Amino acid sequence: MKNKITYILLLVIVMVAAFLRLWQLGNVPPSPDWDEAALGYDAYSIATTGRDEFGKFLPPVLRSFDDYKPALYAYLAIPTVMTLGLNTAAVRLPSAIAGTLSVIVLFFIIQELFSKKGDDQKDRERVNLIGLAASLLLAISPWSIQFSRVAFESNVGVFFNMLVVLFFLKGLKKNWLLYLSVLFAGLNIYVYQSEKVYTPLLFLLLVVIYFKDLISLPKIKLIGPIILGLIVVAPMVFNILTDSGSLLRVRGTSIFTYQTEILGDSAQKFERDENNHDLIGKALDNRRVVYAKTIVDGYLSHFNPNWLFVTGDISRHHAPNMGLLYLFELPIILIGIYTLLFSKLDKRTKIFIFLWYLIAAIPASITTGVPHAVRTLNFIPLYQIFGALGLVTAFMWLINIPESIFGIRIGRVLILIYVLFAMFNIAYYLNQYFVQLNYYDSADWQYGYKQAVDEVNTVGNRYDKIVVSDKQPLDKSYMFFLFYTKYPPIEYQKSGGAGSGSFDSHHSFGRFQFRPINWDTDSKMQNTLFIGTPDEIPNGAAVIKTIYDLNGDPAIKIAGT
Amino acid sequence: MKKIFLNNKFILLFIILIAAFLRLYQLGVNPPSLTWDEVAWGYNAYSLGIDGKDEFGRFLPHDYLESFGDFKPPVYAYLDIIPVKMFGLNAFSTRLPSAVFGILTVLMTYFLVREIFPKDKKESEFLALATSSILAISPWHIMLSRAAFEANVSTFFIVTGVWAFLASVQGKRWLLVLSAISFVISMYTFNTARIVSPLLVFILALSFRKQLLANKKATIAAVVVGLLLILPTVQFLVSPQAGLRFKEVNIFSDVSVVKRANQEIANSNNSLISKLVDNRRVLYGIEYVKHYFDNLTPRFLFISGDGNPKFSTQTVGQMYIWEIIFFVAGILFLFRKRQGNWWLVPVWLLVGIVPAATARETPHALRIETTLPTFQILVAYGIFWLGSMLFEVKSKIAGIKLSKAITFVFVIVIFANFFYFWRDYTVNYKYDYSGEWQYGYEDSINYVKSVQDKYDYIQVTNALGRPYIYYLFYNKTNPGEFRNEAKINRDPFGFVDVEGFGKYKFPNDFEVGKDKNKKVLYIATPYKLPENARVLKTFYLLDGKPVLVAYEI
Repeated sequence: MKNKITYILLLVIVMVAAFLRLWQLGNVPPSPDWDEAALGYDAYSIATTGRDEFGKFLPPVLRSFDDYKPALYAYLAIPTVMTLGLNTAAVRLPSAIAGTLSVIVLFFIIQELFSKKGDDQKDRERVNLIGLAASLLLAISPWSIQFSRVAFESNVGVFFNMLVVLFFLKGLKKNWLLYLSVLFAGLNIYVYQSEKVYTPLLFLLLVVIYFKDLISLPKIKLIGPIILGLIVVAPMVFNILTDSGSLLRVRGTSIFTYQTEILGDSAQKFERDENNHDLIGKALDNRRVVYAKTIVDGYLSHFNPNWLFVTGDISRHHAPNMGLLYLFELPIILIGIYTLLFSKLDKRTKIFIFLWYLIAAIPASITTGVPHAVRTLNFIPLYQIFGALGLVTAFMWLINIPESIFGIRIGRVLILIYVLFAMFNIAYYLNQYFVQLNYYDSADWQYGYKQAVDEVNTVGNRYDKIVVSDKQPLDKSYMFFLFYTKYPPIEYQKSGGAGSGSFDSHHSFGRFQFRPINWDTDSKMQNTLFIGTPDEIPNGAAVIKTIYDLNGDPAIKIAGT
Repeated sequence: MKKIFLNNKFILLFIILIAAFLRLYQLGVNPPSLTWDEVAWGYNAYSLGIDGKDEFGRFLPHDYLESFGDFKPPVYAYLDIIPVKMFGLNAFSTRLPSAVFGILTVLMTYFLVREIFPKDKKESEFLALATSSILAISPWHIMLSRAAFEANVSTFFIVTGVWAFLASVQGKRWLLVLSAISFVISMYTFNTARIVSPLLVFILALSFRKQLLANKKATIAAVVVGLLLILPTVQFLVSPQAGLRFKEVNIFSDVSVVKRANQEIANSNNSLISKLVDNRRVLYGIEYVKHYFDNLTPRFLFISGDGNPKFSTQTVGQMYIWEIIFFVAGILFLFRKRQGNWWLVPVWLLVGIVPAATARETPHALRIETTLPTFQILVAYGIFWLGSMLFEVKSKIAGIKLSKAITFVFVIVIFANFFYFWRDYTVNYKYDYSGEWQYGYEDSINYVKSVQDKYDYIQVTNALGRPYIYYLFYNKTNPGEFRNEAKINRDPFGFVDVEGFGKYKFPNDFEVGKDKNKKVLYIATPYKLPENARVLKTFYLLDGKPVLVAYEI
């Protein structure tokens, strides 16, 4: 295969990737969830006032819903929000672009990992083929598409990590590229919580494995990148050291916070051991043993075949009735792992790829709610690398099987069957994602706020006050009203609207009040528009409009007094 | 060479002794009590031992025991006749066949592994010993050997069947007949084996067709014997009863899948592609894959095991956590080295899960016990190759060979992990899960026996499930008497409901104070007692929670 053809094919693959990530970006998933809305509004706020919703000037960390999001995504969304307006597609666009570009980056990573000095034409073609296969698998990957089409910071994190690897490996030859590698590694801790653990691990891995190459470089070429790295991470380190809040999220999700749930039975056993003066028992039924098992369990849960191939975790993290990978990828991933392990590749490449794979689940393993497709998004692009290697190996092997039945070569029949199965699998996924997802999962995507705001825009003038419920599932509803009404951030900051910001605080700005609705007393208020859950507003009320989820269940009721 | 041989025999004996200890120690006391299926096995064995009839009077049933309407394959009851005769009708004798065949499975596994891998090598000797020691201490196999689970017996016959088959095609021709007999017995022992055994035989026959054809006499003999033995039960296997319980638990009767398929096609405006991809057959296929994979999840295999405490202590997985490294390595090396009949190990493992994955309750350690000992073979294989790689490492740390240091650490880890399981199982288990084993029946029945003369009849709650069989078991009721006196209902779904016998009544509607002029003893759960109840005695689970009370009005 000539280089020219390779690049044309790569271009086609990238176009496929772009199409799958950009088409209907604002409409599938049907609505932004609250994190997306918050990132969008913070981008808008920073772009127009230089401050986030809390009035903090150019923050490295967004306090947001007290989950202290690393802020870089909001900055990346500034250009898109300023050009396309504050809307769903604009907020999601940086993620979609990162997802598309990562398809190209993966092709070049494969080149770096699998090319050797003294490769002949055939070897180079094989590497090109693996690269194209990997890019294709990434382009159509359900996992990648899922998070490229929503404003989830994690997707940018994966893209940055891939850049870190690519520029590091290239940087061993063209040394100035090490600056870029360090830059993206440093920036990544401003992108997503998990990267604070993962990116240092990844970078450490690169340094240790390629230590010989690094140490042989002139010292001056290393000092520059080191200094750059220190400069880049300094504000975050400063932030962590000075702002106790920024570790709140870590505490909120770590297993050590959920003692009663996790220790449960072992506490009873421990008590019994204590009564029996059973020292060995006290050592074995100890909470430390339970914690250790919970961590191992959390880590291993990410290798559950059901999670990967069939079910996924919560509904916002996968297409309905789909896992994170295609079922047709299962055999090629296994073949790929096998091939890589026993191939004649450079030992360091092998070790690097396997460890790169094995560290992906580390940050998530001490958190609750495992397995977790977002916290382990860094499994991309490893499954695609394994799959591509397996695909090419299996293809080469099958095409050369000489046996035939009825004059048809067996290998080719198998390839045909496999391709048909894969196409079926892909068609199934595309149907599930682009057609079924909105129907089944709209409630999980917090659907209905846009329609509610539209209604407020048409009838809202008649009312003095607008009360919006913030009772589940309408919690954090204020963020959606800021987002869809494009409420001027400067006004919002002035009114101190964000208040304490803590999880259960109630908000208000302008005519809007956000609190649970108690219809018995609230219905006596004059000239007030109520937006609440179907339970909160009884049928007897003067309902102006009911907004339905896309599967027909009532989601939001609007009534006036 | 001879010395090594003797050594190996000695090691094998040692392994068997350990296996025996772990399966027989306190067999009648831990698990703390008998489940209704165990009691049914014991009582049917008792009944068969007296007059050759099962509890309901079928003479020498070969196709099924009706029992609770679950149509149990009968072999376990027959195997249990002698233990019950020897040791009396009790927990120990009821469980003994399972424990003994568990021990024998450990032994047979040794011979099996020697047939799977090239024989004349030291390697296969090591693998055989390693596999049987891993099986000997396997939490999975220990727990299933320590209760009257017919699955555990059928595993022995499947292992024997495969061993005899391999031995026969590799020289000892006439063992093929033994193989056929073994496979057929496994099908008379456990429902899942009725699918797994034929599949295994089919695969083995297909792969060794040349040897089988070259060995016509033995092959024909084995086929004839096998067919003759299976013939008596064929009529039952194709009857509606055989499928009854399967229909109840299988995933393909779930209507919501059809509804979903229709909805999805409607969502896609009835497009042709959607009719193809959102077909309900596709959705059922996905369901099946999901239930299949359930049996291969790390949590089930290595962390906490089957969610049903009867099959797992919940504190270790079906396998020990340390095994995961060797399990993964074992798979990789198996495919790399491709020694002997290596392919049989993964094929057997995958086939063994096929029937269990059609059921709603997955993962299910009992229904996939037919996969044992393939998991253990893979672990042993991993130990062998990782071990040999390790011993090529010559580096030293602080004067100690690295390979020796790592081996030492691993031995400690293995021992500690075993100890963790065994202590939890022998110390904590019975307290935490006595309820799962229907604890409380024995105590309450002993009490009833001591006071029943004072009452006109005794009314017992159904809440703990199938009380009649416990009353038969602990009273050692004469089966002839039971058949004469029992009031038995059979519902259209085949369930058998015994409403009472002798002085005992087990009504579906537990009404109190119906017969004003009769003196009645009530045995009921300790909740919602009538106000005028005089509680005579309370029966407790081992964790101290009350489970039954005896009262009168």
